[in-house]
Amino acid sequence: MSLTMERTIDEATLLRLQVENLLIREADLLDSWKLDEWLTLYTEDAHYYVPPSDVDGDTASPDTSLFYVIDDRNRMEERVIRLKSQGAHSEWPRSKVRHMVGNVIAHRDDGIIRAKASFMASRAKDITHDIFVGHYLYEIVERDGELKIQKKTCVLDMEALRPHARISIIL
Amino acid sequence: MGFETRIINDVDKSQFLVPRRAFTDPAIFEKEYQAIFNRCWLYLGHASELPEPGNFVTRTVARRPILFTRDRSGEFHALFNACPHRGAMVCRERHGKSPAFMCMYHGWTFGADGHLMTLPGASGYAKGFKQDPQKQMTHVPRLARRGDFFFISFAQDGEDLDTYLADAGDYIDLVSQHSASGMTVVGGTQEYAIRGNWKLLAENSFDGYHAACTHSTYLEYLKNANGALGATPLEGTGIDLKKGHAVIEYGAPWGRPIASWVPLWGEEGKVEIDRIYGELVARLGEARAERLARKNRNMVIFPNLVINDIMAITVRTFFPTAANYMEVNAWALAPKEESEWLRKYRLFNFTEFLGPGGFATPDDVEAIEKCQIGYAVGDTGLYNDISKGMARDGAPSYDDEMQMRAFWIEWERRLTEYEG
Repeated sequence: MSLTMERTIDEATLLRLQVENLLIREADLLDSWKLDEWLTLYTEDAHYYVPPSDVDGDTASPDTSLFYVIDDRNRMEERVIRLKSQGAHSEWPRSKVRHMVGNVIAHRDDGIIRAKASFMASRAKDITHDIFVGHYLYEIVERDGELKIQKKTCVLDMEALRPHARISIIL
Repeated sequence: MGFETRIINDVDKSQFLVPRRAFTDPAIFEKEYQAIFNRCWLYLGHASELPEPGNFVTRTVARRPILFTRDRSGEFHALFNACPHRGAMVCRERHGKSPAFMCMYHGWTFGADGHLMTLPGASGYAKGFKQDPQKQMTHVPRLARRGDFFFISFAQDGEDLDTYLADAGDYIDLVSQHSASGMTVVGGTQEYAIRGNWKLLAENSFDGYHAACTHSTYLEYLKNANGALGATPLEGTGIDLKKGHAVIEYGAPWGRPIASWVPLWGEEGKVEIDRIYGELVARLGEARAERLARKNRNMVIFPNLVINDIMAITVRTFFPTAANYMEVNAWALAPKEESEWLRKYRLFNFTEFLGPGGFATPDDVEAIEKCQIGYAVGDTGLYNDISKGMARDGAPSYDDEMQMRAFWIEWERRLTEYEG
């Protein structure tokens, strides 16, 4: 008697797994403070945004609304330079960071991959321990056979940054 | 004053010392609510947040829920956001447009001016019940405006807003003159908290002394992003605006979206910035235009309104809920007619320094929170030193501490007056 296993996987699930791999890798690099490597996951024209919680973060534009973070690639690099310096007082000594990423949904849309995922990011430092909750909106593209992030928007599912005070880690 | 440690202000010895207990003692914190937050004019909001009749905003001011409305005739109202019936918060949305506000508990419904329009089961009440003044939403005792900036006071009496603002009034006018057509609050609010005493943020908001150390990474960023640090050095003066208000006015190496261009903005930006400067000169004259465009201003209006006209304009309030905790709200202010390009750069510029995700504010938060932790070493005989510049001849430098002394002198005056 022989047993045959079907080892096929549908395209949508494969895409989701590829995106999940990328997001898991990103979370690991951020949690390990490997920020230079983190930058390599992004395209040269990438953007990283965090809208405030009193606008519709899924649709708000940093061109017309005040955000918490409006980073183009250049400012992302500067953010990393800053966070690697002891002069970034709010992250020195470095906080303990843990990103939990899940509920990933991904689909192809005219040459780019749009993905959505839930996140919780924990930051512990000194006597404080704060948890950021929200969802990510990603735009991902293929460059030289690899998936790269072109845009990441971190929409906070929170009413305010209280008591957190700061987004000094990368969400 | 009821607590044994007073501010020590000895001009001859160039000594100004603030007892650390002022930051930690819960009894002083409660007294501050009675003597300061229940007496002073407090910032409520900006006219541009209610552009049309029917618009409303809900906001917590000095621990109280406030409903800021515009009625059908366009008139502005500040109401306590609590139902006269059983006290439930009436409007539960942050902002919007509505001709009436219905309490979710029993359905009493109020107009934008707070009057009781309808109530279910009215026949069960005495005749004239609906018109009873006690059954209307209560207006905050006083509401007044300086330009488009609205202030409220929980005190029935006291000096009018213009008298209260003293010399700070003209600085509010100055920030309004960035635009010929009026200023607007840009959508999106930065809402955060700091685990520290509120007066630490008042001090920090116009502390010119801490920049080089606390914000070294921001200054590095400016250098990297623009190829070199701008030609304008950090240099300027502190000005006492009377009644506890003060400002530092100074030149700085960062770009200002009102007419101080930096290479990061490109050639297109240079053309636009030059055009704006030309318009300012034509409208305000060379001297005021030059000051408005090139000088930065960090102003604290006592007790807790900050208007910082720096790499962007931020309006910020902060209210304590305990001696060691405050809630901060910050908005961006911009000219209404600003081009899409400049609005984009203004917001980009704002976030490079300001706010919880910026390259500087997180380190201010760190400093404030670490002060609060440091105060735990004990409260007897320990003082903060605020004397920088007292021994200097001539005008205070922007990085002296005259502006903080002005704040503290008013703070002590009000507490003493309350107790006396």
